[in-house]
Amino acid sequence: MLFSMFLRSFFIQAGWNYERFQNLGFAFSLQPALEKIYPDKEKYKAALLRHLQIFNTQPYMAAFVLGNIIRMEERAAAGGEADIKTLPGVKQALASSFASIGDRIFWGRLKPMTVQICLLVWAACGFYGWLFTGMNDELPLGLLLAGPLSGIAVYSVFSVYIRWKGLKDGYACGGANNCALDAANWPRLIRLLTAAGFAMSLAIVALAFALLAGFNCVACTKGDLLLKLGLPVAVLALHRVLRALGRSVFFTAGLLLALSILLFSALKLGPFKLYL
Amino acid sequence: MIVVLRTFISAGLAGLLGLDAVQAGQFLFSRPAFVGTVLGWLNGCPLEGARLGILLELLYIDFIPVGGVVPPNGTAAAAVGVLAHSAGGLAPSLSFFIGIAAGVAYAPLESQVRASRSRLNALIEAQVSSGDFRLRRWLARALLIENAVMGAYVLTLAGLAALLGRLPGLAWLYPGTDFAFSLMPWLGLSGLYFRFRTQIYKKG
Repeated sequence: MLFSMFLRSFFIQAGWNYERFQNLGFAFSLQPALEKIYPDKEKYKAALLRHLQIFNTQPYMAAFVLGNIIRMEERAAAGGEADIKTLPGVKQALASSFASIGDRIFWGRLKPMTVQICLLVWAACGFYGWLFTGMNDELPLGLLLAGPLSGIAVYSVFSVYIRWKGLKDGYACGGANNCALDAANWPRLIRLLTAAGFAMSLAIVALAFALLAGFNCVACTKGDLLLKLGLPVAVLALHRVLRALGRSVFFTAGLLLALSILLFSALKLGPFKLYL
Repeated sequence: MIVVLRTFISAGLAGLLGLDAVQAGQFLFSRPAFVGTVLGWLNGCPLEGARLGILLELLYIDFIPVGGVVPPNGTAAAAVGVLAHSAGGLAPSLSFFIGIAAGVAYAPLESQVRASRSRLNALIEAQVSSGDFRLRRWLARALLIENAVMGAYVLTLAGLAALLGRLPGLAWLYPGTDFAFSLMPWLGLSGLYFRFRTQIYKKG
């Protein structure tokens, strides 16, 4: 029963809509268990309709709520009327709490870390084509795919584990409105991921500047080199300032594009390359 | 002919990979870094595809899909960017910026698709109330529509890019777009750096 729910939980967001968010995916995930718990058709129908109501949380963390709710439904089927009454409140409380935790872990940290892993894998394989155009022309596809796939693998192993753990832990403590919130030391995990992400960011930025200097230092004059290193710093500073002013990264990209077209296409300044 | 066929297959594949973003799985196969590399390989330009993909990815990590927010779509951005280069014959630099615009423009369309699904709730409730408990077909329908919308969108924009590629004098833009494109890794790295730096200094 739990395994079937686990497989269906990969579709928790299918049918996502603005009126009731993940309701359809949630009901779909619960279906095999509800069918087993309520052999009576009318009771099964009532349970299914109950779970077609509004529901929204972070998709991976939804497993914790699914496990909890199915345990509550089992108790309700065994005559626990109180569980039916408290079910919507518990569901809502857990959905909000786990959404907050999941957003920080998955969207805020692990997802950007997949990009870092990709860049570091490419760097380890000697591929810097993402930084400098026209380099590494002959590269095997396997190496190109190794970057994004490494990030995806790390992310997916963790997210699939959390989905399964969520179902099991939620089912084990079902009924309590703080159920499974202590399934892991979430604040510690968030701090660890933040530290790891920041360390990788620093490593990648340092590597990028080192490569830029390395590719230019042989044939550039000191002034040229400073200009070529100063330009990326200026981009970083511009992004920081515009970000502080509430502008998105696309605004900065658009601004840089407009300025570049003005200078190099309209005013026809001599071509300038960051690298040789 | 082969280019047209590849473009059709790429648009379909983009629609399929795009499902991973919200509808099914969430394994990150819909991220630009992967989509760009795969479509680049499919269209004979794996290196440009990987580069476009990772640069789009670096910019797109600035957006977090919290709650009901529909962020700019990275799959559409990478697919249109790669096809603008491979099928449209545009320079990678211009294709990249077309990709960004395509991803941003897809967000309102995605909102519309999501909004249109709200009316299904009443239909599904009526069906369940009548004793028909098959939810699977509604999910399949949602997946199919999402796939078709993304595929059609990518195909349309790839076609427009191919038309744009036929405009005379387009090469005039390239010195500007090339220079801006060479700055994009640094803009992306800035986003990556500040994402974690902000979290390090955030209390709580």
